[in-house]
Formats: sequence, structure tokens, C-alpha cells
Amino acid sequence: MRIGGFAYAGGAVATAIKTLGLTKHFGRLVALDEVDLEVPTGIVFGYLGPNGAGKTTTIRLLMGLLRPTAGRAEILGLDSHVDRDELHRRIGYLPGEFVSYGDLTGEQYLRHLAALRGGVHWPDVQLLAERLDFDLDRRLGALSHGNRQKAGLVQAFMHEPDLLILDEPTLGLDPLVQREFLALVREAREAGRTVFLSSHILTEVEEVADVVGILRSGTLLVVEQVESLKAKALRRIDLVFAHDPPVAELQRVGGIRELRTSGTTAHLVIEGSTRDLLAAAAPHGIENVVSYEADLEEIFLSYYNQETE
Amino acid sequence: MLDNVFVKTLRDLRRGLIGWGAGIAATVGIMGAIWPTVRDMPDMESFLENYPEVLRELFNFDEYMTASGYLNAELFSFMVPAMFLVFGIMRGARLVAGEEELGTLEVLLSTPVSRRRVLLHKAAALVVSVVVLGAVLFVSTALVMAAVGADASLSEILVGATSVTLLGVEFGLVALAVGASTGSRAWALGASSALAVGSYLLFAIAKIVDAVEPYEILSPFYQTLDAGPMGGGFRAAFLWTLVVGAVAIVAALPLFDRRDVPA
Repeated sequence: MRIGGFAYAGGAVATAIKTLGLTKHFGRLVALDEVDLEVPTGIVFGYLGPNGAGKTTTIRLLMGLLRPTAGRAEILGLDSHVDRDELHRRIGYLPGEFVSYGDLTGEQYLRHLAALRGGVHWPDVQLLAERLDFDLDRRLGALSHGNRQKAGLVQAFMHEPDLLILDEPTLGLDPLVQREFLALVREAREAGRTVFLSSHILTEVEEVADVVGILRSGTLLVVEQVESLKAKALRRIDLVFAHDPPVAELQRVGGIRELRTSGTTAHLVIEGSTRDLLAAAAPHGIENVVSYEADLEEIFLSYYNQETE
Repeated sequence: MLDNVFVKTLRDLRRGLIGWGAGIAATVGIMGAIWPTVRDMPDMESFLENYPEVLRELFNFDEYMTASGYLNAELFSFMVPAMFLVFGIMRGARLVAGEEELGTLEVLLSTPVSRRRVLLHKAAALVVSVVVLGAVLFVSTALVMAAVGADASLSEILVGATSVTLLGVEFGLVALAVGASTGSRAWALGASSALAVGSYLLFAIAKIVDAVEPYEILSPFYQTLDAGPMGGGFRAAFLWTLVVGAVAIVAALPLFDRRDVPA
């Protein structure tokens, strides 16, 4: 399927990533099927999909680590394979499974990568490490997964690349560091850089992305502004009341797709914002709110249903 | 400090080098220490004559009662070459394929350093590490033989150390090349070990089967060890080991450059 023709704020802008019929087979498995994707420069693009949808395959194709079975990818106007080394100079990359040299300290590792890249300003590295609360003096092998991931983030950002390609970047990060990471992403966008980040969690992406692409089973379902995706997303939420749930009032709220009760708890599925729902429920004495991670599979399905209705 | 892939790779090899260097020096020390006893044994020659023909040929027992003949038989015909082969093959397989299996290669390949350069730097570091091991062999052999008052000359010892170093370099580079081309350490180890064993069998069988003899020239063991190696001097055939190692790496460059590096 072809998706395009979006009007982005700012009008005509250059293209950071453009894939044309990008396809990858592993033996008989079709990991990625004719993906046409266009990411303009200067935005944060969230690449969403459940595990196994083909996000990492796409990213590895963009990085020139894999060769496409068919189609091609153009990044910053260059071919992902022919101009691989030049592109690597301008891309900051965090692999989905980032593995560093465990016998080196953070400083040794980052100085090594900085030397391989050239042109890295060491004080910038120190500043990044400080912001992410990353200890440069400890051996990487002795660190927790989350702390090692910080080394991966620093090496991706340290040369101020034109394009950041980050595969599940927040995996294992604690919430404070996640916040700092999101700040780094926003700063990169403000500096005119492009950020392409993948995730299987909607809330993580909707916080920072301008546009998202949703991938399922190797097929790009939709590319959508985050705002309109949010309005369409199905969210599961449980409201625990002090007394019996006010079923009648809740049912009058727009966007309610499903409502069940058990005891004093109302189990709801709502489309779009939960603001009206909470406003309607508040006067009845809410004791607790449990919101569940929006299931991407459900978002895709609801999106699909609306498209075909 | 770790300014390029070559230096980083040498650093990775350093610990192995220390261990293997100590092992080789110890082996040389023990065999050297025994030499005076062997030399002074009254019935040694008749004892050696009872060995089968093929062993006497393979290990050059006819020269056993000279210091260099003794070193050839005890160290340079099998034990030390085997140590160099194992070192070269294991490290060669690890440098690219091992890094790939660990997952560290991915970040390295996302830097502007080209894959070809990565492989060349790794190959250079591997060669240097085997040469260092060869230097350890040369120095320890020279010291031990001087200490026991043996009549092996330095130039002979240098030839011996060079021949096994070349074997280690050749098969190490083959293992590195296979690992870089396939991304599999098992393939790298398997293919280069099979090649080494096959080459040794060819070298050994040619000693007893006349029909095989014309092909012995193809075996790297024949090329490096047949004339002694100590006592044979530097021979042009030594260069074949470098040719084969270089060809393996050059052939691997485009394969490594083009292939998928899967997660």
C-alpha cells in the first residue's frame, strides 16, 4: 500500500528518509513487504508496531546492515547501501540490542567510538553522560542493563548527527532517565535534526513524536499525525468508585466502546481522550484509576475498521 | 589510545598473547632442559631406529642426535606448529564472527569506518599477534639452548620460529576470512581446522604413499616444515603461506562488505 501526501507544518521540507518498495525476505519469511515511507527532516518520527512486525528489520535496512531483497532506501538523499560509510558519519544509531565492549570503561568505549567517528567534541560527551547520569569510569560489563543502555544513547547522540535512528531506545531506562532522553530528542528536533525511533508502546511514542508510522506483519498500515492517532486510539481504563459505578452517566460519555462492571469497579474501553470520561466520573467519588497500555494491535484494528467503514 | 580498530583488536588479543606466550616459553624450556639428557643417552640411536618409517620421516629422527634435529623433532614438527595453529585459528575466528555473535560488531559497523577497513585492521592485528608469539618462541628457544650449551645457531632458530609463525598466520587469516564472510564462528573454526588437518594429512601421507608425493607441495606443512624446519634455511616456499592468507582476506573483503549482518 502507498501512503503519502501528508501536509506537514512548515510546508515543503527536505526528506530525511525515503523508502521505495522496501522489501526484505529471510528465506521464505517476508519480514518487510514493499514499504513506502517518507520522513521529512526536522521531525520526530515514531515507528510503531508489535514485536516481530519488522521494525528492527526496517532499521537495519536503513543502516545498511541488511541488503534489501527488493526496493531501496534513500537517506538524507543518499543510498543506504552505496553511500553507507558517508551515511554512517551523519547518522547516530542505537541498535535494538545494544551490546558494548564489557571490558572497557564507559570513557574508554566512548573515546574509542569517538576516535573512529572523528570530530567528536569530548566535553559534549561528558555533558551527555552527566545528563543521563551515566558513570564514565565504570567498566561497562559491571553495569546494569539500563546503565549500559545509557552508553548506547551517548554514542548515538555524541556526534550531533543529522539523523538519529533509535531502535527501542527507552528499553530498560528508569523513568527519570527516560524523561531526560525525551528532552534530548526534543532538543535534537529543535536543532533541526530528524529522529526516527521505534517502539512497541504507544504512550512512549505519542509523548514525543510528531508523526507515527504503524507497522504490522511487515506491512506499513498507516502514517499518521500523532494528534489524530491519539483521537482514534482505544484505551482500556478501570475506574474504582467508592460505591456502585454510575453506569448511566458513564455510558453517556462520547467514545465509550465497552463498559462492564464488577463490584465497585467499571472496566471501560474508550476511543480517544479520557478527559470527558474522567470529568463525568469525578463527581461520583473515584478511589482509583488504573489505565492500561493501549494495545497496538487494538489500535491497528480500530484504525482499520474505521478506514473500511 | 584505542584510536582505531587495529589498536583495539591488539588490546583484545593481549591477554591471550600473554597466556599463550607463557605456555610456549614453558614448553620450550622443558624440552630444552631435557636435551642434555637425551644427548648423553648411550642407546638413543638404536632406540630411534625402531620407530616406524613414517614417524622417522615426519619428525626427522635421523637428525635427532643434533640439537637442531632434536628441536625439529620435539618442538617444530608438531607441538609448536599445533599451538600456533590453535592460537591463529581461534583468534581469527573470534575477531569478526565472534564479535558479531556477541553483538558488539553492530555498533562498530555503524561508524563511518568501512567494513573493508575493519577487516583489514583486524587482519593486521592478528598477523602482529602471531608474530609476537613467534618472537617469544625465538627468544625462549635461543635462551634455553644457550643455557644448556646446545649447538643450535640463532639463524636456524629464527628459521624454525618463522616457519611456525607463518603457519599460524596463514590459518589464522583463513579463519578470519571465513568468519568475516559467513558471520559464523563455527564455520570459521570448522573450515580452517578441516583445512589444517587435511593439509597435515597430505603432508604425512605423502611420506609413505608414493602416488601422493607429487601433491605434497600443496601442503603448507610441506612448504614450511619439510626441510627441518631448522637446518633448511629460509625457502621461497615459505611465501606460499602468506600468499594463501592474503588471498583469503582479499576474497573475504567484498563478501563481508556485501553480506547481511543479522541481529
